[in-house]
Amino acid sequence: MSFFFRMISISLTLIFVENTVFARAIDTSTLISVSRNRKNIFGFGICAVYFSVVTGFLGFFADNFLLESQILKEQAYIYQPFIYVAILGVVYIITLLILWKYFYKIFLRIKKFIHLSALNCAILGAMFLNAQNCTALSEYIFRGIGVGLGFAFAIYLTAIVYERLHDASVPYCFRGYPLTLLYIGILSMAFYGLASTPIKY
Amino acid sequence: MNSNNIPKSNNQKNDSLGSVIYNAMVRNNHILVLGTAIAPVIVIANTLKNAAYLALTFSVITFFTMLLSSFIPQRVVYTVRVIIYIAIGSLVYVPTAIIISALFPQAIQNMGIYFPLLITNSFIIFHSDTMFLTEKKGRMILDLIFGIIGYDIIVLLFGLVREIFSTGEINGNVIALPMLFKAFYQPFGGFILLGIFAAVLRGILLLIKKISN
Repeated sequence: MSFFFRMISISLTLIFVENTVFARAIDTSTLISVSRNRKNIFGFGICAVYFSVVTGFLGFFADNFLLESQILKEQAYIYQPFIYVAILGVVYIITLLILWKYFYKIFLRIKKFIHLSALNCAILGAMFLNAQNCTALSEYIFRGIGVGLGFAFAIYLTAIVYERLHDASVPYCFRGYPLTLLYIGILSMAFYGLASTPIKY
Repeated sequence: MNSNNIPKSNNQKNDSLGSVIYNAMVRNNHILVLGTAIAPVIVIANTLKNAAYLALTFSVITFFTMLLSSFIPQRVVYTVRVIIYIAIGSLVYVPTAIIISALFPQAIQNMGIYFPLLITNSFIIFHSDTMFLTEKKGRMILDLIFGIIGYDIIVLLFGLVREIFSTGEINGNVIALPMLFKAFYQPFGGFILLGIFAAVLRGILLLIKKISN
């Protein structure tokens, strides 16, 4: 039971306290882009969770390989990105092929944004953070769930006020992008208050 | 990424060098107008020194990745091509990381995960096809160079202002300020300050437009 609660707390921490966007600002560019269209948020969120969990799962084996290899261990920071991108690329292409072959309707619906949900800093960043913070496979998976859900949550919070941030009543200088940054900053400040200790970057 | 303002390919245009520079560095500034690769700016560029590290690494990785990516045939579908761009980025990262760690060992430590994350920056993922790789090579390189310079200038300015207001120092040298805004050192302070920067630039552009009319 304690294992279950520990894993849930890891995911909740990643959603609220150490949210990918609000605490670390990772992939704010994608968030601003995706939040324009509320229709895609659900699909985007599911894709983000899927990719962060699967790449986290495979990342566990890659990290163990790096730790066991004497040559790579000392300079892991140099080779890690290439290994992670290779994992991400393989997962991305296999997923696309499976969807195209067996779930063509779903493929057509998500093909506009699947590359945004898979090939972004949030997913790649989750792999780097997993390598720093996790030891067990279960932690990699639950952190993956937390990162994916946290990213989707951040997109939702931005999307629900999209029209207001771009409203004609807002002064031109602040309308749209500048106000979106201020809004995310205020949200980020609120979420920062949930963390009792400073977050490592 | 502020995709409302993404300028389309400039293939058909024969702009003067001055307008190319102005458009790439000011009118379509990648940080303050297009919202490109802003995560490292918000988190890392909290001092002038860190901003300089970010500007250097971003410039090297983005320039060489985009340059090498321009040789990928456009007939390859975008969903597949984009993973090739990132793979190229991860290859460019290897020599960059080796050189940077030899020259500035502190940079690797200060930038943390944001250094390797530069290989998936939105310059490479979003703007590769909409702005750069559909242009002719010469024009692409010009837009790329001035786009990167525009990015670097804002990063350095942002780091400088943030360091002054949050720590009361310039590159470690203390200056007398009546009060400090320590929150600007944190990511949420970075978001807010960047929003103010973006609004100021928009105001300046509006003023220029009014004057020229």
